[in-house]
Amino acid sequence: MFDYSGVPAAAHAGEGRQEDTGVVAQLERISAPHERVVDSGVETDDVFSLAPGQIAGLSGLPGSGLTRVGLSLLTPYTSQGPLAYLDVRGWVSPLAAWELGIEPERFVVVRTADIVTWSRVVATLLDGVRAVYAEIPHGVRDAALRTLAARARTRRTPLVLRPLDGKLPQGVAHLQIEAREVAWEGTEQGHGRLLVRRTLLDVSGKATRGMERTIEVEDDGTNDLRVVSHLGTQTSRRFP
Amino acid sequence: MWYPTWALRRPGVSHDAPQQAVDDRNTVVALNSHAAASGITIGMQRRAAEALCPTIVTIERDQTADMARFEYVVERIESVVPRVEIADPGLVFIPIAGAVAYYGGEQALIERIDKELDAFGGDYRFGLAAGPFAAWQAVRSTSDESPLFIVSDDTAFLSSLDITAIGSDDLAATFRWLGITTLGALAELPHDAVISRFGRQGLNAHRIARGMGNEAHPRDIPQDCAVEALFDPPIEDFDQASFIARNLSQRLINQLAPHGIAPHRVVVTAIAADGTERVRTWWSADPFDDHTLTDRVRWQLRAWIDGVSVGIRGGIASLRLEPDDLSGSGRQLALEEDVKAVDETRRALMEVQAIAGADNVLIAVPQGGRDSGQQMLWSRWGDEPTTTARDIHAPWPGRIPSPAPTLVPPDPIPFTVSWVDGTPEQVRLRSRWVPVLSWAGPWRSVGRWWVGEGSSDRYQIVTSAGAYLCEVRNGSTYLIGVYD
Repeated sequence: MFDYSGVPAAAHAGEGRQEDTGVVAQLERISAPHERVVDSGVETDDVFSLAPGQIAGLSGLPGSGLTRVGLSLLTPYTSQGPLAYLDVRGWVSPLAAWELGIEPERFVVVRTADIVTWSRVVATLLDGVRAVYAEIPHGVRDAALRTLAARARTRRTPLVLRPLDGKLPQGVAHLQIEAREVAWEGTEQGHGRLLVRRTLLDVSGKATRGMERTIEVEDDGTNDLRVVSHLGTQTSRRFP
Repeated sequence: MWYPTWALRRPGVSHDAPQQAVDDRNTVVALNSHAAASGITIGMQRRAAEALCPTIVTIERDQTADMARFEYVVERIESVVPRVEIADPGLVFIPIAGAVAYYGGEQALIERIDKELDAFGGDYRFGLAAGPFAAWQAVRSTSDESPLFIVSDDTAFLSSLDITAIGSDDLAATFRWLGITTLGALAELPHDAVISRFGRQGLNAHRIARGMGNEAHPRDIPQDCAVEALFDPPIEDFDQASFIARNLSQRLINQLAPHGIAPHRVVVTAIAADGTERVRTWWSADPFDDHTLTDRVRWQLRAWIDGVSVGIRGGIASLRLEPDDLSGSGRQLALEEDVKAVDETRRALMEVQAIAGADNVLIAVPQGGRDSGQQMLWSRWGDEPTTTARDIHAPWPGRIPSPAPTLVPPDPIPFTVSWVDGTPEQVRLRSRWVPVLSWAGPWRSVGRWWVGEGSSDRYQIVTSAGAYLCEVRNGSTYLIGVYD
């Protein structure tokens, strides 16, 4: 069976609710033009980027598009040097990275699932590689993550962390991204092919000035992700 | 001295049938007389060669093993003339200026070397000239019937050679288009005009054509730029030695890079645990970069550690690389790279290799294929990327269209899908059934039936949790990709 052990419990619980309400219909409703923008005083483009030394945390189901979200945050740095992807599951496909515009020789994959060596490997990568994407295996201590976050800030290396279980501890990530819903366009009942993915992301952290916000990103698989709209803040109560 | 068929000399291989050796690009690099009689030539593609001679025996070149065997030959030559320089397994440059006087003439020297190698057999040939480029061209002019070519005047000899001898096909084509068809015609061009029109590449070609070699002598050469590593306990394992070879080679090239120089000649010195010192000099017409130098050092270490020669007793206690004959054509950095950042990255990735294992630090190159897993070719970071045998530009019918799945399991994983009348209705994720919202496919892969591969159908299945790429084979469904 497909190992779904990396699925956070909370996200998994929400899955049933999405099925009941019909995710496609909900996304279409949410994406209606008249509902797109709620001004919270923070520019969307500023939110959806990662400056040197900043850390982004990703949480959500495999399949929700977070790997591409994380890679797209780091893609601008690959013009200056390689991006290292710490692959705990051994599943990452460089094809997706190449589609985002990362040169093959600038995408280095490091495979390790051992939590003892994991911290050492991330620390070493932060010292020398231009950008780091790290999946976090089960059992890594919060203290280790905080130490690595401090190192990333000191070395001014952008870091994307993807826990395979749960979320990052509070205060580690400058930008915390959680996948809420995902919908695909292009496939019918046996016709067409996957074309465009629209993902609703709940974004929080210092990047959003402490407010939780919802962003919709569109991904056609062949270019950078495009932020379609900044949908609103949690406090606006505009959407149920 | 050159063994044109060295790559074919393998134990247990019969030489009575047509044979060819191909490199990792499937280009013919060596062939015997039977193969040549069929019309096959060096540089031909393997497929074309096999079309000309369907019974030909094809050997894939293994330069590490070739060098391990060639070490014995080098030792025999060094018993006559010291300090020879190896360019490739099968090709060695012998500095004969002193030896000619010692043995009483060129012919006597050749006979002495010939006597040493006679027991070893093979179709070795000699080219004698004042410079390495002319000597190489001379030995290429030899044949089975006339295995010795002595050049009395390098300039006169080179002037008659075709312009393609400069080694760069593009530059040779340009010269030919300008009406310059021989090295002699190139040598007659004004030096300054060649530099201003063709830059460093043209300068090197002009120097070669005039019999001056392509070495340049930059002003700021560091005093002591050798690199050395000591090992306690000594290294006896070839894998360990390979890792050290890359480390030292990169250190040497990086050390020279800020000066804008790179070596044409590197002296590799190893000291064994019992104190024995082994020295070999490697030479290259083009300046070494870290990849080419790593290969040479690895070949040499393999020859010493695992070869048939005396080798290294008790393991390697010390390894030293010393550059010589430096060239000004060092590595050109990319626009946004800086030397410090490149060094830091290399150091970090090598350290990660030491922590996680060299096999776990990987890089991939694109190649052709129908499934995502087939469309990338992995190799260890720092190794020369493996050359793909799958044509990326071929149509690959049945290929899954983009976007590519972000996560691809190394092997297909059983995936429970509820099919109703050929339509996927639900998929099982962990312990829950999730309805299929939409799906596309199938994309049929017929497989290589002649090697027993069956056909399969691939489907893109979309659920509220995400999209998956599945494969249906022999009535079972497997997960082969996740669009994450």
